Amino acid sequence: MINIQDIILKVFSGAGATCIIFFSTIIFSLPLGLLITFARMSKFKPLSIFAGTLISILRGTPLMLQLIMWYFGPYYIFGVSFGLAWRVPAIIIGFSINYAAYFAEIYRGGIQSIPNGQYEAAAVLGYSKSQTFWKIIFPQMVKRVIPPVTNEIITLVKDTSLAFVVTYTEMFTVAKQIAAAKTTIVPLFVAGVFYYIFNYLVAFIMEKIELSFNYYS
Amino acid sequence: MSLFEIKNCKKNFNGIKVLDDINIKVNEGEVVAIIGSSGSGKTTLLRICTFLEYMDCGEMSYLNEKIVTSEDGIARYIGQKELSIDALNKNKELVRIKSYFGLVFQNFNLFPHWTVLKNVMDAPISVQKKDINEVKEKAIYYLKKMGLEHKTNSYPCELSGGQQQRVAIARALCLEPKIIYFDEPTSALDPELTSEILKVIKELASEKRTMVIVTHEMNFARDVADRVVFMDNGVVVEEGKAYDLITNPQKERTKRFLQKYD
Ligand SMILES: Nc1ncnc2c1ncn2[C@@H]1O[C@H](COP(=O)(O)OP(=O)(O)OP(=O)(O)O)[C@@H](O)[C@H]1O
Ligand SMILES: [Mg+2]
Repeated sequence: MINIQDIILKVFSGAGATCIIFFSTIIFSLPLGLLITFARMSKFKPLSIFAGTLISILRGTPLMLQLIMWYFGPYYIFGVSFGLAWRVPAIIIGFSINYAAYFAEIYRGGIQSIPNGQYEAAAVLGYSKSQTFWKIIFPQMVKRVIPPVTNEIITLVKDTSLAFVVTYTEMFTVAKQIAAAKTTIVPLFVAGVFYYIFNYLVAFIMEKIELSFNYYS
Repeated sequence: MSLFEIKNCKKNFNGIKVLDDINIKVNEGEVVAIIGSSGSGKTTLLRICTFLEYMDCGEMSYLNEKIVTSEDGIARYIGQKELSIDALNKNKELVRIKSYFGLVFQNFNLFPHWTVLKNVMDAPISVQKKDINEVKEKAIYYLKKMGLEHKTNSYPCELSGGQQQRVAIARALCLEPKIIYFDEPTSALDPELTSEILKVIKELASEKRTMVIVTHEMNFARDVADRVVFMDNGVVVEEGKAYDLITNPQKERTKRFLQKYD
């Protein structure tokens, strides 16, 4: 007999791991994306070419492959093995850097969509380059990038399941194991409900944030 | 006293001459109107005066302090080796000079994420490091003068074009510049709002503020400016007392241009 409560509990026991990947990625990739944008928009050509190439590779190869690289890379390249302790850091690094590349391009689009007149008004008023960015450009960029950033965050919730490739037992992995052992799809369905509720919350919170920027247009 | 002077100013864009040998001098308390057809280089000239653009060759000074000199036909800005907009932006010497002037744009360029009051107050505080309370008092004074004391907490998007332009003027005034440039301040506005802005500028002129105004409003130039400069194709064709030049131009090109406004 399969106990549905049992399944739900077991599947949700993987939710903590899913949340760790999700929140760590958000915390690291949002600011890291800004750094990559700066590099990409730098007037120093080698730096901007480097950043452009990096973004292109990170967006042009499967995240799953990147996770495997981060996890097994140190062993194959340097011959050092950190063992299982390396698994969570490798996953977080892989996710953060991958998402940072997407955020970097979103930020760049946001910055470039701000009219040149804003920079010119700031220049005539005497604002320095960094004041102009942080006081005038950045806040306007944030408002403009919220919708595309929301899309990426929703994708991230679903992408957390990719951590299974390095045998990390996040929720999806747990669900699959139970499903295989008990030959039922109920655990997978439970996992699906979880992802849906998670994303529902994400969309709700992001909408609140978006609304809080509606005081000007 | 000469507040501003530009001499033999030349500017090319991709090998095309946009300004050729411009000479203009502005004395304290003077209102100078610049008129001329589209593409004659008026905006480019104001952008050079306000360091948004660099000149290729020529001289410029504010309050008799030399900002640009030229050697072998190449402009040299104080404290700067390279000739580029980037270099202008980084030049520390120019930041000090920027406090001498203000610029009012055709399309206002207010900061949309800030209230009217913050738009007016922020530069004196974060650029000139002035005392907040003093600045606030002054900002409210100038906003009152612009008839906007009831709009201090509004955002630019909540204002009409005319009101936005008045905020932009208050923002320029609050930095207490010695000279204010206006680039077609009414071109983005409909006739009713245009007269509202022209009235404000006229009031500033009556206070003997030094102003350089690019405009297509010939009656306004005639009545408010002391002097009018007519530009065509990157050169100053004619210059003279406002009333005389508008009502009785000497050069053929000026006559032809003014006929279009009759
Ligand atoms: N950044 C630029 N790059 C290339 N050409 C430019 C640039 N800025 C201006 N020009 C050219 O320089 C000439 C003068 O332009 P400017 O904007 O100064 O004219 P204007 O007198 O202000 O005209 P308007 O009355 O239409 O505002 C035009 O032919 C314009 O195309
Ligand atoms: Mg113009």
